[in-house]
Formats: sequence, structure tokens, C-alpha cells
Amino acid sequence: MLRIQNLSKTYPGGTQALKNVSFEVNDGEFLVVIGLSGSGKSTLLRCINRLIDPTEGKVYWDNVDVTAAPPTELRQIRRRIGMVFQQFNLVKRSSVMTNVLSGRLGYVNPWMSLIGLWPQDEKKRALQALGRVGIADKAGERADALSGGQQQRVGIARALMQDPKLILADEPVASLDPVLSHSILQYLEQLNKEGITVICSLHFLDLVHRYATRVVALKDGVKVFEGSAQEIDRAKFKEIYGEEAQEVRAASM
Amino acid sequence: MNNEAATRRPIARSAIASALIPGLGQILLGQRYRGVGILLGFLVMLGTVVWYKDPVWYLSPVLIWLWNIWDAVGLAGGRARSLLLPVLVGLAAAYGIGWQVVEIDFRNADLDRAAAIVRPMAHPDFIQPRRERKQMWVQVQVPCSSEPPTARREEEGKVATVIPDCGVVGETLIVSVNGMWPNTETEVTWRTTIGDLKLVGEGESQMLVVTTDDAGSLTTTIRVPSTALVAAPDPSLPQFHRVYFDQYRPIGGVELSYIGNEVLKGALDTVAMALLATGLAMLFAIPLSFLAAHNLMGGNPITYVIYVAVRTLLNILRSIEAIIVAIVFVVIVGLGPFAGMLALALHSVAALGKLYSEVIEGIDPGPIEAIRATGANWVQTVRYAVIPQIVPPFTAFTIYRWDINVRSATIIGFVGGGGLGFLLVELIRVNNMRGVSAVFIAIAVVVIVLDYFSAKLRERLV
Ligand SMILES: Nc1ncnc2c1ncn2[C@@H]1O[C@H](COP(=O)(O)OP(=O)(O)O)[C@@H](O)[C@H]1O
Ligand SMILES: [Mg+2]
Repeated sequence: MLRIQNLSKTYPGGTQALKNVSFEVNDGEFLVVIGLSGSGKSTLLRCINRLIDPTEGKVYWDNVDVTAAPPTELRQIRRRIGMVFQQFNLVKRSSVMTNVLSGRLGYVNPWMSLIGLWPQDEKKRALQALGRVGIADKAGERADALSGGQQQRVGIARALMQDPKLILADEPVASLDPVLSHSILQYLEQLNKEGITVICSLHFLDLVHRYATRVVALKDGVKVFEGSAQEIDRAKFKEIYGEEAQEVRAASM
Repeated sequence: MNNEAATRRPIARSAIASALIPGLGQILLGQRYRGVGILLGFLVMLGTVVWYKDPVWYLSPVLIWLWNIWDAVGLAGGRARSLLLPVLVGLAAAYGIGWQVVEIDFRNADLDRAAAIVRPMAHPDFIQPRRERKQMWVQVQVPCSSEPPTARREEEGKVATVIPDCGVVGETLIVSVNGMWPNTETEVTWRTTIGDLKLVGEGESQMLVVTTDDAGSLTTTIRVPSTALVAAPDPSLPQFHRVYFDQYRPIGGVELSYIGNEVLKGALDTVAMALLATGLAMLFAIPLSFLAAHNLMGGNPITYVIYVAVRTLLNILRSIEAIIVAIVFVVIVGLGPFAGMLALALHSVAALGKLYSEVIEGIDPGPIEAIRATGANWVQTVRYAVIPQIVPPFTAFTIYRWDINVRSATIIGFVGGGGLGFLLVELIRVNNMRGVSAVFIAIAVVVIVLDYFSAKLRERLV
């Protein structure tokens, strides 16, 4: 179980990206975070695995205080938390295989990994992960030779290598067209059904209704809603998204 | 009426102001930049013609001054004059002065001399027909001792003799040889005790060439060369000199000529020198480039100061031509390839440092974030997210620099830096135009080949 308590983040420039946010995520949930661009979704997700250090508040994961974890322990926590990004964040010049293997860096012998030596069973695991997202045949290609949807699948395969208990997905489909969006989210849904908790930020109401088991909404860094996906109707959505709701609805159709 | 008077006054006032100080009228009319520009342009023009002391060009500041008054008047009436006129005047003066400075003078050109240079260049001295040599020599004593040994030598069926057995400088000797190839041109030369080659043909400045008869024999007369004893410590002491007979005949195929060999060696030297310089530069440029990367150093005031200092240093170094640096290094470490290599390396540190730092500034932070999120440690993150992003472009830029350095190395050779450039200077000095031509071709080939491969290689890296 993930517990977020009174989380606040103020960036060096003075921007208050998160203001006193608290909520809990039970194991096996598919939690969707919604909110306008700039409302603090990315900041929130990055505070959970501490890619960003929160200014105040606590994050507990299975009763371990993530916010207080020393470096070594933090890395052990991180390796069980997979992360998927809007811009995929693959190393473009490296092969798909290397990108996927790098998801395993928290587990393998660091020295071996530095000289680029990977055990056979890790390579097998990587091919399996690629097989699960349907692109095992692309293992040898350069990451940037793949299409956007394929690159995001590599991103998911990389997260899978971490043997994750939790996956953080920061707008994983915002750079993809609607058809591809569904195929990517279905992979996440499948993983969720196999027991991996998913926290995912999304923009479109229909996607929220289709995939979320629960929803948290942010507005200017403040949590303005927490509840089931069904509770979010057009009116609520408009309240959260303000004047831009019109646009968002149009785009989601 | 009143209106007209009101406009006429500023017209007169601007004209007078601009006549006194060019641009002042325009400034008074509120056209500050135009005024200052005119003043600066006028001063630069005036300074230039005064500096070059050529009365003809005084016309141009005068023209600009007149235009400036005309412009002030026009401006007062609400219409600026075109800048085309003063710009044209300025350009004309600049080109005119430039022409004088360069001393362009076609009267000195001489077509015959040009032809004498260009004609041999059509036959680059690079390869020659492969040939074998038949050689024979015989000793002769100069000057005579009381009992000179017989000037006769036998070897492998060849016999060479000199009559008499010894002689003094200028004395005529009968030399003969047999057992050589028949009907073949034979070079007859003189070598002193210490091996110096002396020509014994016309005026001692040409090779004596005699053709053997059907039996492979020849007999001819030579004079003991006038310079045979110049290097001798004691000219009265009898010493043994040698008369050589050399025959060559083609055996099919071609081989590198002597100059061709030197050119090949020079080309390799040049490429190696550039390679060494580039490698050395890379070692220094990599750490410097991290200090010159804004995204790494911009964070706090101390690192920012280092960033600015390193950037400035690199920019200054880069702006000095490598050949100038080479001259400085020649003074410091002496003439030779080492000075050239150091100069190239120094210049390359600056150029590579700048290029590398731009690569670092262009790193995508996304993959770094993603690798950190997997639980990787700092070194693993650098290895898997940073290195793959910078190594290929670093390599590409380094190859590119090597390519440039090969070109520079040929030029730097001019100031004693070795390689093709040095060879070129040597060949020009002895007026060996066929050799010069060979060097030109070698430079072109090296540059084109390297350019091609470096482009191919870089294509694959990026
Ligand atoms: N590294 C940063 N430095 C300063 N301000 C930031 C940084 N990252 C995000 N912000 C600001 O924090 C706010 C929340 O941003 P973000 O978490 O990216 O929102 P979202 O993901 O919902 O679009 C925005 O106002 C954004 O400008
Ligand atoms: Mg975001």
C-alpha cells in the first residue's frame, strides 16, 4: 500500500507545484491522476520514487518511509517501481535490447553492467519482456528507428524488467494517437490485472472512464477530487479542467 | 507663411550642424543612431585615407561629408536620403586602398616563366619505370704518391681501368670499362674519398653519359673534377677517389621514384602528425568541455565563473590561427614536426572543447531520469544514459577535427613542421617542379580520401 501524506513541493524558482496532497493507493489499484497541464501531476509521480525530493510531507510504501530512505535503500525501493514517460525517455542511439536491459540495472552486478556484460538469463528476460509487448523482433534495432507506439512499448518492457510492484506512468499516451493510446493502456491494464499497482496520469475523460479504478484530480497543486471514475461526469470534469474542458472533450472524441 | 519660416529654420540649422560635425544635424533632428553612424563612418573613412596618405582617396570623406549635409537637409524636410551613396563611396575607397596595399601589378607577370614552372608539373615525379642497375667502379689516386697502385679493378666479369693510375686536379684521364651491357647508356661519375658525387660532363654541371659498344665496352676521357679536393683536410695528401659506371635498363612495370617515396612518407607523416595532435587535443578537450557546458556549470555562481573563464579561454585559443601558434612553438621547442603538432593540438583543444561542450549541453535529460528511476546508481546512470548520448557525437567531431588537422598539418609544415608541407618547401627551394606537382597531388588525394571516409564514418555515428 502506498500512503501519501501532506505532500508539498516548492521548486527553487518559487513555484508551488504541490500543496499538502494526501491520499492512499491500495495494492492492485489502477489509479488515474487527472488535472490541467501544470497542475502538478508529473511532480506528484516523481515525488513517489523521489526523482524529485518533496519539500514537505511523507511517502510511505508498504510502511517504509520513502522520503527518508538513504541512497542505497532508495535505489532498492526504486527498482521495484517501474516508470513510463510521455516522451518514452529511451536512449535513442542505443539498441532496443540495451534500453530494455537497462531496466535491470538495480539488480545486476554493477561492475559487469559498466562494461556492458549482461548474464544470459537477463537477456532472455529482456526478450520475454519485449515478447509481452509484441516487439521481440525489434530487439536489435536502434531505439529511434521505432515508431512512437513501439517506443512506448519498449518503455513498458524496460519497466517490466524491474519486476515492479508499482508502475508510475506519466501521461504515457499523450504523445500517441487514440488507437495507439488504447493499445498501450491495455498493456498497463493487463499488468494491473496480474497484480501490479498502476498510477497513471491521463488527459481524456473516455480513457479515464475506461481504465481507472479510482481517480485523483489535481488543480494548481491541490487535490480537488478523489473517488471512483464513475463519479466523474462531464460537469465534474469541467470543474476540474475549468474553461479548457471544452477543448479536452473535443480532443478525446 | 509662418509655417514656411518655421520649417526653413531647422533646415538651415541642421545643414550647418552637419557641416560642422557630420551627423550632428541628424542627431538634433532626433535621429540619434543615424547621426552617430554617420559620424563614425566619416571618422573611419577619414582615418583610413589619412593613414594611407594617398590624396586621391580624400575625395571619399569629402563626398560623405557632402552627402551628410544633403541628408540633414532632407531629414529636416521629413525625407531621409538613401544610404546607398555613402555606402558605395565607402566601398569604392576600401577596395581602392586594398588594391594599393596588395600591390596588384600584372606587369611583373611573365608567361615564359610561368610555362617553365607549369610544364614540368604536368609530369609529377611520383613513379618511374622499374629498372635494374649494373654498376662498376675503379679507384684512382689524387694527387699521385711516389708509387701509385694500378688503377684497375675486376669484378664478376667486368674490368674497369684508368690511365694513368693517378692524377692531379684538372688532369685528363682515360677511363674504360668492359663487361657491361652492350649498347646501353652508361653514366660516368666521380666520387671523392668521402663519397661526394661530382659530375664530369660538360662544365662539371652535367652528367657524362656514354653508350657502350656491341661488346659492352666503353672508353672515354674525363678530367679530375676541379672540386675533387675541396673537402680534403690536406690537398697534398694522396687519397683514393673512385670513378663509377652506372647502367640502367627497364625490367617492366613501374616503381616509386625517390621523390615519390618521399612524398608517400610525407603524406603518412602528415596524417600521423594530425592524428597525434587530435588525440592529444581530445585528452584535454574532454575535461574542459564539461567545465564549458552551461547546463552543468550554470547552477551556482562559483561554477558559473569557471564556465565563463573556460569558455573565454577556448574562444581566444580558437581565434588564433594554428600556423601563428606553430611559429610561437617553433621558437619554444625548435624547428620540426613537434612544434607543428603542438600548435595543431592547442588549436584543436579549443575547437573540440567548444564542440564537445555543445554536445553536453544538448543531452536529453529524459533518459537520465528514466535510468535513475530503475534504481541504477550514479555510475550506471552515466554509463547507460549519458555516455551513449555523447560518445558518438564526440567521435564524429573528433574525426572531423582530424580531417581538418590533416589539411592544417600540410600548411604548418611550411614553418618547419615536417610532413608534406616541409617537403613542398624543400622542393620549391630546389626548383623541382615535378616533385612539387607530386606533392600537390598527394595533398589532394589525402584530403579527398580522408574527407570521404570521415564523412562516411560520421554518417554512421549520428
Ligand atoms: N524543474 C522545475 N523547476 C521549476 N518549476 C517546475 C519544474 N518542473 C515543473 N515546474 C512547475 O511546477 C508546476 C507543476 O508542473 P508539473 O508537475 O510538470 O505539472 P503537470 O505534469 O501536471 O503538467 C508547473 O507550474 C511547472 O511550471
Ligand atoms: Mg507533466
